[in-house]
Amino acid sequence: MEEEEIQKAVVAYLRKKGFTNTEHALQEEQNRVSFSSNSDHSVSRLENGPVRYSDGYSKLRLWAYSSLDLYKHELLRVLFPVYIHCFMDLVAGGHVHEARIFFHTFREDHESMHLRDLQKLEGILSPLHLEEIELSRSFRQNKFKIKMCEYSYDLLLQYLQKTQSFTMRGVINEHIDFEVSPGQPTLSSGDADFVTIEGRKNDLARQINQKEIHWGLLEDSLEQHLERPKRPLDGGKQGIPVKMVKKDKLVSMVGKNVRSETSAVSVAPRVKPELTLPATLVEVEQAILEDLRSRVQLNNLALPSISFYTFINTCNRLNCSSISQDGSLVAGGFSDSSLKVWDISTIGQLVKTSSLQGEKESAKNENFPATEERRKPYTLFHGHSGPVYSTTFSPFGEFLLSSSSDSTIRLWSTKLNTNLVCYKGHNYPVWDVQFSPVGHYFASSSHDRTARIWSMERIQPLRIMAGHLSDVDCVQWHANCNYIATGSSDKTVRLWDVQSGECVRIFIGHRSMILSLAMSPDGRYMASGDEDGTIMMWDLSSGRCVSPLVGHSSCVWTLAFSCEGTLLASGSADCTVKLWDVTASTRASRMESKSSSSNRLRLLKALPTKSTPVYTLQFSRRNLLFAAGALSKCS
Amino acid sequence: MSIVPKETIEVIAQSIGIANLSSDVALALAPDVEYRLREIMQEAIKCMRHSKRTVLTAEDVNSALSLRNVEPIYGFASGDPLRFKRAVGHKDLFYIDDRDVDFKEVIDAPLPKAPLDTAVVAHWLAIEGVQPAIPENTQVEAIVAPSENKKSENSKEDGLLVDLKLPVKHVLSRELQLYFDKITELTVTRPESILFKEALVSLAADSGIHPLVPYFSYFIADEVARSLNDLPILFALMRVVRSLLQNPHIHIEPYLHQLMPSIITCVVAKRLGSKITDNHWELRDFSANLAASVCKRYGHVYHNLQSRLTKTLINAFLDPSKALTQHYGAIEGLAALGTSVVRLLVLPNLEPYLQLLEPEMQLEKQKNEMKRKEAWRVYGALLRAAGKCLYDRLKLFPGLLSPPRHPVWRINERVATSQSNKRMSSTNLSMQQPPLKKVAADGPTGALQPIAMTANLQGAPDGFPARSSGTGVGQPSTSGQVPMKTTGGRQEKGGSVAPKGSAVLAQAWKEDLDAGHLLASLFQSFGEGVFSFIQPVEMSFFI
Repeated sequence: MEEEEIQKAVVAYLRKKGFTNTEHALQEEQNRVSFSSNSDHSVSRLENGPVRYSDGYSKLRLWAYSSLDLYKHELLRVLFPVYIHCFMDLVAGGHVHEARIFFHTFREDHESMHLRDLQKLEGILSPLHLEEIELSRSFRQNKFKIKMCEYSYDLLLQYLQKTQSFTMRGVINEHIDFEVSPGQPTLSSGDADFVTIEGRKNDLARQINQKEIHWGLLEDSLEQHLERPKRPLDGGKQGIPVKMVKKDKLVSMVGKNVRSETSAVSVAPRVKPELTLPATLVEVEQAILEDLRSRVQLNNLALPSISFYTFINTCNRLNCSSISQDGSLVAGGFSDSSLKVWDISTIGQLVKTSSLQGEKESAKNENFPATEERRKPYTLFHGHSGPVYSTTFSPFGEFLLSSSSDSTIRLWSTKLNTNLVCYKGHNYPVWDVQFSPVGHYFASSSHDRTARIWSMERIQPLRIMAGHLSDVDCVQWHANCNYIATGSSDKTVRLWDVQSGECVRIFIGHRSMILSLAMSPDGRYMASGDEDGTIMMWDLSSGRCVSPLVGHSSCVWTLAFSCEGTLLASGSADCTVKLWDVTASTRASRMESKSSSSNRLRLLKALPTKSTPVYTLQFSRRNLLFAAGALSKCS
Repeated sequence: MSIVPKETIEVIAQSIGIANLSSDVALALAPDVEYRLREIMQEAIKCMRHSKRTVLTAEDVNSALSLRNVEPIYGFASGDPLRFKRAVGHKDLFYIDDRDVDFKEVIDAPLPKAPLDTAVVAHWLAIEGVQPAIPENTQVEAIVAPSENKKSENSKEDGLLVDLKLPVKHVLSRELQLYFDKITELTVTRPESILFKEALVSLAADSGIHPLVPYFSYFIADEVARSLNDLPILFALMRVVRSLLQNPHIHIEPYLHQLMPSIITCVVAKRLGSKITDNHWELRDFSANLAASVCKRYGHVYHNLQSRLTKTLINAFLDPSKALTQHYGAIEGLAALGTSVVRLLVLPNLEPYLQLLEPEMQLEKQKNEMKRKEAWRVYGALLRAAGKCLYDRLKLFPGLLSPPRHPVWRINERVATSQSNKRMSSTNLSMQQPPLKKVAADGPTGALQPIAMTANLQGAPDGFPARSSGTGVGQPSTSGQVPMKTTGGRQEKGGSVAPKGSAVLAQAWKEDLDAGHLLASLFQSFGEGVFSFIQPVEMSFFI
């Protein structure tokens, strides 16, 4: 046959030239072809496949583990992507049983680092499932990016060439991008930083993260109002010598003109609001100014006082709670779809003079019969038809929003004790709802993988933010109201421009679902807490993680920045409130921003509660910290 | 290949009425069932997280099902965890134990109590970063009692705090309670029994009774105050204290402030016991030693412990209005604290005190025999204290009496004095004679017995003192003094022999160290009684 002749010729040529390796490869290939030539070609490949994968992988693994210590940890990084893709290739090829065996044989290697991913992938049992699970889809569509030094890369290439393992080579070529850096191998710590899912989506993320954002505070904010009247007042009151006053005046005169520019450069740039902001009432403004004046300065030496509101007898039915700015109202959302609001200022009186108080209040609002009112120290809001997952008070405490699994958001008036509006728009349970810092607008996030912006007077959403690959679990407004941040079960946090509805930042780094978000008052940083108890601090402008905070052992339900942004408080399911020093960590990171983010936020204090998981934290304008949680009896 | 076996699918198919499900179909369905299960669990976990819980409930699974538009599964009330039972004969088949409930039973049962309504209570988790020690917060220290003022601070919440458990509960096990009850009962009712002795041994050695220490210290303080008239009980209580102090496993320091007053009471109380025959002297000695041992052991922890004790004692000692029994106790207490205390505090006051004591001891001046007897006791205690001090000094300066010339010389002096003593006594001038006799009687008691006994050996072994009229207690005396006693016994009006003797001695010892002066002054005060405290060998030189 002609073909055989050609083959012979080729082999002879290879021998003559001394290409033994190629010759072997050719022979191997030939054997395989000849072996399978009896049966159907494709079937033979499929049968051969599974063994190839597990053999190839186990050889690669053995090699990586027995490599030089200096380069070992870099080479080991290759294993996880290869492992995942081998598994998915096997499933995609229909070798479900072999895939299972393969998966379980090598599972232990990766459990410590990627347990949650493994748990999700474990369920994949047919090619169809590969398409359905977003995690596997993202693995398939994107590439892993692995950083390694030159020599490690050479080692790997040599190995792949020597062993002739085409399968492994194929997998690695297809799914892994190497970022080869000259010089010494990196230190073994922080594996997560070096194995990231890169690819189309990540290019996108990088592209997105290069967009400009204006994280500065709003112009003409009340805090500025406070600073302005202070100066002449101080000068007049303290009777500073005339020269000083003159100077002061000069400075203030100049300051008025210049401040907008200088402060914008040095301290915090001011930006114009993109939304039309609601006008604040004069008396409200006065109250806020009063609060700002009597604010306690907090820093790493002066820690806040914490008032803790404990919900008792909740029978595990409390899903969420929120506290108004001044701490006078506490709302609890329950799984029996009820919403209860306690007025803390009257709690003590209600017990003592319950009858008197009750009659008064019942006369005021006719919604509830007098008898009921007398018995209950709280106001009950009925309206939802499913568990209430989130509540939020408007900045001045006159409105309350609640979101529920019945996919609606309801607006309640705390003055009238009644439901005002029901916002329907989401198609699935609404996990979170948050009022904007100025009120009037609010953002919601839902199981339908969208976040929406609403205004109180419209029953339709103003914007829909779509892009997350999984549930949007939490939402938070930026201090200047121009952005919202959303945390999702796809382990990313995104920042959206409210005006355009575009995603302007993607923050990748968490290893499990995001549960809580907080924005620093200066608008520059964002903190996010996840299911594992990790808190990450992000620089909004660069989109990079400033420092991961490790300390909590369970879900971080809530995060809050103090009013000057010096402290971060976190509340967790491990029954502690922890206080972190923000300034120390950000300062440190600014100085050595280029180096690895090994510096950690300093934990100032851990305050354990008595078996009460902390559901919510709220700094008042005077820097008193309010916390709430439901007592869970474990005895 | 999937964790849901083919058989399960077949069983489920049968249960919903599909009898002839082919095994291929079952095989194909199994992996999908597992996948859907996992999917539902993933959603259920999301629901759990949004309900701010860390434990998955049946409710979460149901809401996950409704998220996926699947009919929820009814009949699994959440709340308490479901109880699964293993099917007999199967390794991994479980079912829920679903008991049949009699309808009538349910109807007839009284209505359950309405559950408490949800409420909110407020407390300070931290004040400027520091956690206040209130019951609502977790305990930072081991035991912090909720103080009263803090309670009143939170008074407005008190009404709502009903079902918050109070944190500070000092739990005593039943065994310990029984133990405590038994011991206290024994102490009060049967202090003489063998069982009580066993109890004392147990108290001194048991490692597990530390939780009872506060109770014991309270019990002792309380009982001492109550039964001052009951000597046996007081003695028993002091023995309990001693046992507790001996116990190496317990930390008694925090309770010393409660125990010390009781011990001191037993040393210097005016009256201990109700009957005249009660030997309260013994109790005083015992308690004094106890107090001294406490000082020795915990003095370094409580710097003011010993100073406070000595102050109390010296006050009792120097107050002439106090009863002689109190003086006795004070002297004993001070003596137990050591010779330096005696030298610094007792000896400077010795002379004035003796002048005070003197009239009490004389038959003419003190007609009350009881009183006189007491005075003799006090005198004896003083002598013992001073003597011990002297003995100590002499031990410090062994060379003092060793020069060969001096002894002879001294013996001469001694003889001279004794002769003069005799002479003087015959002239009814010896004032100090009765005390000597008394000392002879008292000398050998207590800690000094060995010395006295050794002294005894060199004298006539059969030398028993005549029972003097004043002392009711007959005790072996040092034979060295016998002749003097017999002579002096009748000389009720003591002359001033001793001063003379002492003057001679002082002259003779001019060149000697202060120990010599001490001996001199003591001799001045006590006469020859002090010689019983001089070491036997030296004694032999004297006599």
